[in-house]
Amino acid sequence: MRFGIFYELSVPRPFTPGVERQVYENALEQVRLADELGFDTVWAVEHHFLEEYSHCSAPELFLTACAMQTKRIRVGHGAVVCVPAMNHPVRVAERAAVLDILSGGRLELGTARSSTWTELGGFEIDPDTTKQTWDEYIRVLPRMWTEERMSWRGTCFSMPERAVLPKPVQKPHPPLWVTVTSPGTELDAAERGIGCLGVAAASYAEQERRTREYHRRIQSCTPVGAVNENIATLNFLYCHEDPAEAARTGLAMLGLFGLANAHLLFTREAYPTRAYGSLANLAPGPGRREGSPADGSGIPEGMAIGEPDRIIRAIKEWESIGVDGVNFLLNAAETIPQEKVLASLRLFAREVMPAFAKGKRR
Amino acid sequence: MLLGTADVEALARRAPRLESFATEPLSLPGVELLQATFELEGQRIESFFPPGLHPTLPVLAIFAFWRATEGPLGAFTLAQLRLSCRSGARPRQLLVASFVDGERACAALNARFAFGARPAIVQLERFYDRVDARVCVAGVKIVDVHAKAPLPLATSDLQFFASVHPAQTPKGFRLVQVDAEYAITRAERGRPVLDAFDAAAFGAPALRPAYPVAAIVALGDIALPRVRYVVRPDVLAFEGTETVS
Repeated sequence: MRFGIFYELSVPRPFTPGVERQVYENALEQVRLADELGFDTVWAVEHHFLEEYSHCSAPELFLTACAMQTKRIRVGHGAVVCVPAMNHPVRVAERAAVLDILSGGRLELGTARSSTWTELGGFEIDPDTTKQTWDEYIRVLPRMWTEERMSWRGTCFSMPERAVLPKPVQKPHPPLWVTVTSPGTELDAAERGIGCLGVAAASYAEQERRTREYHRRIQSCTPVGAVNENIATLNFLYCHEDPAEAARTGLAMLGLFGLANAHLLFTREAYPTRAYGSLANLAPGPGRREGSPADGSGIPEGMAIGEPDRIIRAIKEWESIGVDGVNFLLNAAETIPQEKVLASLRLFAREVMPAFAKGKRR
Repeated sequence: MLLGTADVEALARRAPRLESFATEPLSLPGVELLQATFELEGQRIESFFPPGLHPTLPVLAIFAFWRATEGPLGAFTLAQLRLSCRSGARPRQLLVASFVDGERACAALNARFAFGARPAIVQLERFYDRVDARVCVAGVKIVDVHAKAPLPLATSDLQFFASVHPAQTPKGFRLVQVDAEYAITRAERGRPVLDAFDAAAFGAPALRPAYPVAAIVALGDIALPRVRYVVRPDVLAFEGTETVS
């Protein structure tokens, strides 16, 4: 099992001077501690214009700072939005390679296509086209990293023969992932031989189905590059010895995050299209709520909220259905004080991590 | 969270009256429908919403037209302007103003579902390459909107959301939740164009629909079930949602 931490970098209103800087500094302190404690990866999203929900619009810069302040933890660009109006593919390849060099070969590259009208509309992107552009990006990125010079004549962009520089440290290239929100994207990942980076909460049963299908399909994939057969899911972490305190604080974070998520303007609400079949994103899904244990805690099924033993049981369940890694959101709009977040990380590392064998990449 | 900042008392003063929640459901078969959506521009978008609602970012202004040719209210054409928002965690659309061409329908929609509609000449006209919709009050065109070059979509690609209608109700000034149900049989998406809009005539002089998003052209049955919920406009939905028996 591999453990990661995952950042939206949500910022509470009011947006007073210094509040964004404090959020970034808190996150960096958490990353340094996570590195010391043995967490495997720090992931940072790419979002634009999402007031409060995510002020993480330049994750490659944040992740560079993470890499420079740590020794071992991998840096997950999770995920770069693969549409030309936001990120030209050459720039994605270049920035990723630089980050891989600066981090000493610690980059994981997630790919995505954005799910809100706020973002797509803000860049005047046609939502009907994003799946196609994403597909083109993940096919061309490995070539840009591995071929001395290359040319491309595609649908969303073309270029004459050039050397895309620099080349990444990892050979043949950094692991590729795709963020999975809508059911079915795990099949897109499997068919292309890339990792499944879950960013929408799924129930145990739903995740088990997705995991089974993913591993089955990837056996016959046509890989776009080096195969990365791994599934990671998203979770929320608040670990405390006192179950009542853990539930109180963890559920406050969960509730606030869920509300902020519900306030996003998802693409289909504004723009009817078959290209976006799901309104869901990071909020805990209905399966989770229905699956709440009958212990009266109110903690949804599978959440890493509670005392260490409870969290061990939840993660063992994820492990048993074939999940390779769990990435944790540690806070939402700074609702948990920084000292408590750090204490939660320390307790998790001391009491929970030893219950799991260190995960190896497939 | 971003919250509405509109003056609740001022909203209450101009809200229509809903005398009773004891209304029968309404079924409208074969309705032609146009929904043209634009993003609002302006620094104070929260001023259009009462404190119980959260504006979406951006706020969508939705011009909705229904043309019913049959059904219990006879033939009528309806125009509405609604704004996208959240009531608690739920997606909702706040009704700004309504106009109805059809005396009987106007009276019924107001009395039963707090549409607060005013009589007007409302037109919805289908051409090969566009759909035109307009509202005229006292000979003056107050909105002229189009869906250009509509192309087919699957009916499942469309989504509709409940609207909330400010009204003086038996429980006091409330937002009346109208859960219109749509059974769509034909769906298209076009490019929205707004040729004329008199914001003052819609009771919101500062409202500026600007950036075009999408236009839906559809055909289907619309059902308005009886009112089940109202929401207090002055507090958040978690506290202010009330059931109607």
